[in-house]
Amino acid sequence: MTQEISSLMDGELEAHEAERAIRGCCANSDAAQKWQEYHLISDVMRGGRPHPSGTAQRVCRALESEPAIVARPRRVIDTTFGRVALAAAASVATIGVVGWIGTQGGQGPVPTATVAKSPAAVQPVVLQRSPAATEPAPDVQDYLTAHRQIPSAELYRTVTNRGTAAPAAAR
Amino acid sequence: MKVEGSPGGARRILPALALGFACSAHAAPNDPVAWLARAAQASRQTTYEGVYVHTNGDRTSTVRVSHTNAAGEEHERIEPLDGDAMEIVRRNEEMYCRFPDAKTVRLDPRITNRFFPAILAASAETIAASYDVKLGKTERVLGYECQWIRLDPRDQLRYSQRLCSELASGLILRAKVLNGLKQVIEQYTFTDLRIGPQATRADLKSIFRARSRQWLTDGQPRDETATVDTGWTVAKAPAGFQKVAELKRLLPGRGEPVTQIVLTDGLASMSVFVEPAATPRVAEASSEDGTTAFHARPMGEQLVTVLGEVPLATAQQVARSVSRRP
Repeated sequence: MTQEISSLMDGELEAHEAERAIRGCCANSDAAQKWQEYHLISDVMRGGRPHPSGTAQRVCRALESEPAIVARPRRVIDTTFGRVALAAAASVATIGVVGWIGTQGGQGPVPTATVAKSPAAVQPVVLQRSPAATEPAPDVQDYLTAHRQIPSAELYRTVTNRGTAAPAAAR
Repeated sequence: MKVEGSPGGARRILPALALGFACSAHAAPNDPVAWLARAAQASRQTTYEGVYVHTNGDRTSTVRVSHTNAAGEEHERIEPLDGDAMEIVRRNEEMYCRFPDAKTVRLDPRITNRFFPAILAASAETIAASYDVKLGKTERVLGYECQWIRLDPRDQLRYSQRLCSELASGLILRAKVLNGLKQVIEQYTFTDLRIGPQATRADLKSIFRARSRQWLTDGQPRDETATVDTGWTVAKAPAGFQKVAELKRLLPGRGEPVTQIVLTDGLASMSVFVEPAATPRVAEASSEDGTTAFHARPMGEQLVTVLGEVPLATAQQVARSVSRRP
């Protein structure tokens, strides 16, 4: 642990190692004391004024009180006939792939929806339908775009193709 | 963070110069609703330029934003820094979205779109009717002193919000949305910010402007935002949610326009869509991610879909109260 703290202070740790070292410091009073001593030494060597005591404790308290972003698992609610998955986002760049599945009356196997794992994977909708579903299924991303008014470049290929566009009167 | 001039002094003075209302807002430093009003006004009046990070659920995006208010007109340029290149240039409620790859300019009046830090869509008093507004601690954020404003819903129909309002200008520097367990499910935070006149007009002009003169224009979104009587209504809109738009718009793949009714309580908004069902028997289906809830409900030959920044139960309640207008 001592070596880890030393490496941490020297900036030699990768991000995940640094996080582990800091957490380790907080869990171990000896390590926290060591952290404190190293900082004192460091400050004195640089000719600065030593930190007031209790730095390690304050860092630990700050870590504990820091609210983490909760990456809440996407909830996909199955129903008897339908299953839908939503990849919601607030910007174009993070709007992922959304699949919508509709089946009729439980005929055929219940299909699965596909959700993008990566923000980079902004692709046309991945759609899997049972043979019983005869109509094209709606795309959740269409609703998201309409609601947020944040269109994607993908949509504009559609616009270009549908022939309603006119030469720009750009500002 | 980029700060011009001497640290501290200039940074504190410039926002005050940029904001004529700063003094009056300081007159009621302990009134949480006044702080909220000041934050809303600051997002419209302040000149600023910066980059913010938005996290919703497990997704993160980075956006550059420049904003000013000149001669009573708001000018804003928004550029998502991830994914395909695009930009949105806004003048008051007119949005010009440019897509260099598709060589297209989309014209779209702002209805639901709220880019951080302009996330307050109603008066402070309207918002206070749905949320208990209190002042939290002051904190140093991005080098600025900041006052946290706490908004907790008066019911279970919406999420809690936390806004960090910069002391001198009122501008919101950080915003969080919390679920019922007080866990952060969405967050906006500036990572780089300049407040005041040094954010120049040059930052507000389209970087594609010269090239886009020959691009295609898609005026359909603009044309579709005209208010119409769709024949549909949300009979029991949750308390505090007001209808702000009712229109018909063509969504990709649809043979005919889809009804869209937009409800907002000033912080959270929902869109209600009604359209002929693509398949005759699609069961109700729901999903949520971050703050965004989605619920689809077949109603006879129609499909009702609700999508918004509300708890799923709220979206479901709204979907079930959609009916033909009498």
